[in-house]
Amino acid sequence: MRRASTLFWQILIGLGALALWEWGWNLHERLPWLIPDLLDPYFVSRPSVIFQQFLSMSCLVGRDGNWTFGVDGAFAKCMSRSENNLWIATFVTLKNTLWGFLTGVSSGFVLGLLLGRSNRLSQIFYPYITAFNSIPRIALAPIIILAFGIGDASKVVTAWLVVVFLVFFNTFEGARSVDRDHINASRLLGASEWQVTRTVIVPSTMAWLFASLSPAISFSLIGVIVGEFIGAEHGIGRMIIEAEARGEAAGMMVAVFVLMIAGVILSALVRRLQAYLLRWRPAQTVGG
Amino acid sequence: MPSTPPDVRCRIEINGLRKDFLANGREVVAVDDASFRIDDGEFVALLGPSGCGKSTILNMVATLIAPTGGTIKVDGAPVSFGKPVRHVGYVFQKDTLFPWRTVEDNIGYSLELAGVPIGERRTRVAEAIHQAGLDGFARFYPASLSGGMRQRVSLMRTLISNPEILLMDEPFGALDTHTKLDMHSVLLGLWERQRQTVLFVTHDLGEALTLADRIILLSARPGRVKQDFRVDFPRPRDAVALRETRQYAELFSKVWHSLGEEFARSRST
Repeated sequence: MRRASTLFWQILIGLGALALWEWGWNLHERLPWLIPDLLDPYFVSRPSVIFQQFLSMSCLVGRDGNWTFGVDGAFAKCMSRSENNLWIATFVTLKNTLWGFLTGVSSGFVLGLLLGRSNRLSQIFYPYITAFNSIPRIALAPIIILAFGIGDASKVVTAWLVVVFLVFFNTFEGARSVDRDHINASRLLGASEWQVTRTVIVPSTMAWLFASLSPAISFSLIGVIVGEFIGAEHGIGRMIIEAEARGEAAGMMVAVFVLMIAGVILSALVRRLQAYLLRWRPAQTVGG
Repeated sequence: MPSTPPDVRCRIEINGLRKDFLANGREVVAVDDASFRIDDGEFVALLGPSGCGKSTILNMVATLIAPTGGTIKVDGAPVSFGKPVRHVGYVFQKDTLFPWRTVEDNIGYSLELAGVPIGERRTRVAEAIHQAGLDGFARFYPASLSGGMRQRVSLMRTLISNPEILLMDEPFGALDTHTKLDMHSVLLGLWERQRQTVLFVTHDLGEALTLADRIILLSARPGRVKQDFRVDFPRPRDAVALRETRQYAELFSKVWHSLGEEFARSRST
């Protein structure tokens, strides 16, 4: 009952917002106090126009305004017209996001583990790490584009830079807070130093790593988009910048919606992965 | 130099053991000149009021704490801090199961470390699970088990590698009375088959009488050996029925009197 009512309100609010967006501007003349200037379709377009724009940008509808499927070669023809069409742009952005995520998570984990378990190393490197960490990572994006070019590499590096610190600090904390008694138990059960690391320190630190995966994927997407804003051949970020240059609000909005959907799907996948990897956690078994 | 013949029956020998701690800038003597020996196959309870240093003694034998003075020998060889002896097993008071491993993977842990082949490991783990009455729980994670079940898993995790000497630090201290009695039966059943040498730390006199062959009573801090009682109730013992016998009541009141003095002393300091 409660679920149904929650769903009801969610749908109602969603539809209400869309309706206001679609038709609200018509009331602007009469009710300027209710309808903010920002609702001007010149800035934010309208849902119906955005949807039309989505159909044509994704080549589902051709230039002539007809559906492309069923018509021989129409989809391919439309696709070939643009080097950065919606499909390629989405693919490239997601690919770079995933690479930034993977490289950032793995290197952040290794660094966090090394420094977290070695007092000597952490003493030496800690000031440098805190110094680097206080740089807003996005400020480095132009430098990275300059150094790595406008291809995919610079996007992966930007995303990596954003992800690696997040994962590093989580892993570092995790590696420092490994339960002493677990280490002792492992030693008393016959583990060598290397076996203690492999069977106790790594798994307990993993729990902290997993907790950082969900923000890491979002951060990675942000890194890639910022990189694409500054200079790119393909990608959703470039698509937004181009649409902005042409004053095409609908085009920008299509890109934003695609990013929103991609973000939702990516973090849902990561949360699934997280729940599976942390299935031994008490929270998952309460009530069982 | 006069040499004494090696005593093959003696498994643990403690001589003049001492441990000082620094607490709030003040030197505290936790254990002072403790000496005793434990022979092969003996089940010895180390009994004393809280804070008397009994766990400290055990942890020094387990090489988890470095002694300030004195010697500890296991099978004639002196032990050194941080170097656990192979055939000595340890059961913690605190739950130290690895939460990311299932029951079977926790129990099989030491076999995995020793490189025992997977087939043999499975058979031995299955047998251990059965002995501990944990059938059907092999794939469970510790978080979904009760305290008593977790402690059984802990016990089997230590016992599976067949240690000849067992060190136990109030392993049932955190359990409720019923679960505790249940665990006593489980432990007695397992021990009476294998007859490991056991050093068992507890502040529960009933527990010590139920399980042990000998009770070493420690004084209040600083811990010293105050008295050594022999507990010769026949074996196999029934953890519940034993408590209703006359011998149990007699020995209980005898040790209780002596223990009571130490409790009073530990309160007054």
